[in-house]
Amino acid sequence: MPIKGGGLDRKSKAASEIPSSSLADIAFLLLIFFMVTTVFRTSRDRPIEWAQAEATEKIDEKVKNILNVWVERDGSIWINDRNYPMDEVSDVVGPLYAQSQRRLVISIRADRETPYTYIDSVQKELVAGGVVRVVFATELERQMRGIRR
Amino acid sequence: MAILNQKKTKASDQIPTASMADIAFLLLIFFLVTTVFPKDRGLAVVLPEEGQETQVSPKNILHIIVRADGIVDLRRGESQSVQPIRAAQLEAIWRQEVTANPNLIAAVKTHPDAPHRYMIAVLDALQLARADRISLQIFEEF
Repeated sequence: MPIKGGGLDRKSKAASEIPSSSLADIAFLLLIFFMVTTVFRTSRDRPIEWAQAEATEKIDEKVKNILNVWVERDGSIWINDRNYPMDEVSDVVGPLYAQSQRRLVISIRADRETPYTYIDSVQKELVAGGVVRVVFATELERQMRGIRR
Repeated sequence: MAILNQKKTKASDQIPTASMADIAFLLLIFFLVTTVFPKDRGLAVVLPEEGQETQVSPKNILHIIVRADGIVDLRRGESQSVQPIRAAQLEAIWRQEVTANPNLIAAVKTHPDAPHRYMIAVLDALQLARADRISLQIFEEF
């Protein structure tokens, strides 16, 4: 079967414009990609075992005014993901306390097995840094009294 | 190319709103997943300011000595007799003592090697007993 013009004069059917119908899809793809990959900067928790207390209560202060001081079993101090030697704690905490208009609350997050000598040193450092409001972070202990007795 | 200019666009000139609900739910689920509730709980204590040391009469002090093995030694005021107790008993004892002497101060002295949780247990008992005059110290052997 002879083809008219030998097939050479066939016009291209491809549109000469960039298709824009998938633009929204691409936009959402990018949006979702960035949503999923975004990591909000938060200080990570240190792996400690919490002490438990029945009198545990919520800290009555804004989250931004709470500074976590982690004290591990071996006595190493972590503040905002950084390890500090014990005698630098007051230098770290002092300026933060001044910045917060004296509203800063220190949450001492110590492992339940941490020897008390480290906790005492931290307290002395905090007092030297001028901070007086301190919370010993604990887990709420479930009241088992009815069962025990 | 006059033909191209004559071509009418078939695309609607309105933003499609059918997917609005999808977008809303997408955002809702995203924020649900990423929200972290802070775990800020604990036992609040106010430390004494530097140089703020006050003399108190020895008879107003209840010495609570936390030993390294978790046993709590109770020593009242000036007396030298020591009563070993468990931390759980302290709540009732404090309530008794403070009704007898409203000016009583709890001096919690913890042995340097005692694990943190023993001191927390004592502090817990005192806070359950609504004690507000608490002094946290380290136990120094004489």
